[in-house]
Amino acid sequence: MSTKRPGSRPPTPIPAGNGSNGQRNSVVLGPRDRLVGQLYIEGNLRVSGTVDGELEATGDIEIAGGGKVSGAVTAYERLVVGSQASLIGGNVRVARLTVEDGATFTGKVTMGKPAIEPPKPPEPERQPLPAAVVVAEPVKPIEQKVAPVQRKVAPIRQKVAPVQQKGKRR
Amino acid sequence: MDVQEAVAEGTASVENGEVKRDGRKQFSMGAGDILEGKLIYDGSLHADGRVEGEVRVSGNIDVASGANVKALLEGANVTLKGTVEGQVTAHDKLTLGKNARLSGDIVVRRLQIDDGATLNGHVRMGDVEHQASGQ
Repeated sequence: MSTKRPGSRPPTPIPAGNGSNGQRNSVVLGPRDRLVGQLYIEGNLRVSGTVDGELEATGDIEIAGGGKVSGAVTAYERLVVGSQASLIGGNVRVARLTVEDGATFTGKVTMGKPAIEPPKPPEPERQPLPAAVVVAEPVKPIEQKVAPVQRKVAPIRQKVAPVQQKGKRR
Repeated sequence: MDVQEAVAEGTASVENGEVKRDGRKQFSMGAGDILEGKLIYDGSLHADGRVEGEVRVSGNIDVASGANVKALLEGANVTLKGTVEGQVTAHDKLTLGKNARLSGDIVVRRLQIDDGATLNGHVRMGDVEHQASGQ
């Protein structure tokens, strides 16, 4: 229960799974696959098997083919229920929802992006800046040093490589 | 379904022309029309403008994209393109168009929700009994 709430688990800044840059992690449960329990995915999830439990994904969830899901479903972005798929009996929290004609769909639906959007990790700008000002007296060089730092900080949250490079430099 | 009761209070102008489509009567509202109260109608309804209260028809209901509906809706096929607040019962199929906004519980046999539609409420699927008409 505590593992599922978006508020309790801010997405890790480092993309999980496949190393290809910028591409979202994707998990597929095939027609013969079966899951009983809870599943949290940072990325997209595609289910064409059977799930008895709770699903949560930071990206899209697609219940495709003859996929059957019984339980709560939370997709921070989009949920698609295919024409032969079924989603039964759970609370559904999504930003966008598509239900194709022929699908079986039962449950309570809550939509609205602000309610679902994952909380951004409360990481304010790191503040070595005042310290740098105190240490170094000349003004102009400081500004030149400071600016690159800020630019480097942002990519760190998204990519792994810059973090390591920066650590070496230090 | 026979016409049992029809109360249509038109604050503006409710056009209740006997338009026939596919051999059935159609109650067709325009964008400036207002319907308040309870309408039980043997035919189809094209809802536009403002609708408040309760609407039960034997045919189809379609709610236009600019319409504002705060009502219980019951029909065979229900197609929503506008904003609806209230319980919706479709004896056959409910379709939420891409600009539809529905707040209310749904009882349907078939359901189609297009990308872009907004839904908040309980969904129950299966054969629709006439439970709604007793309320």
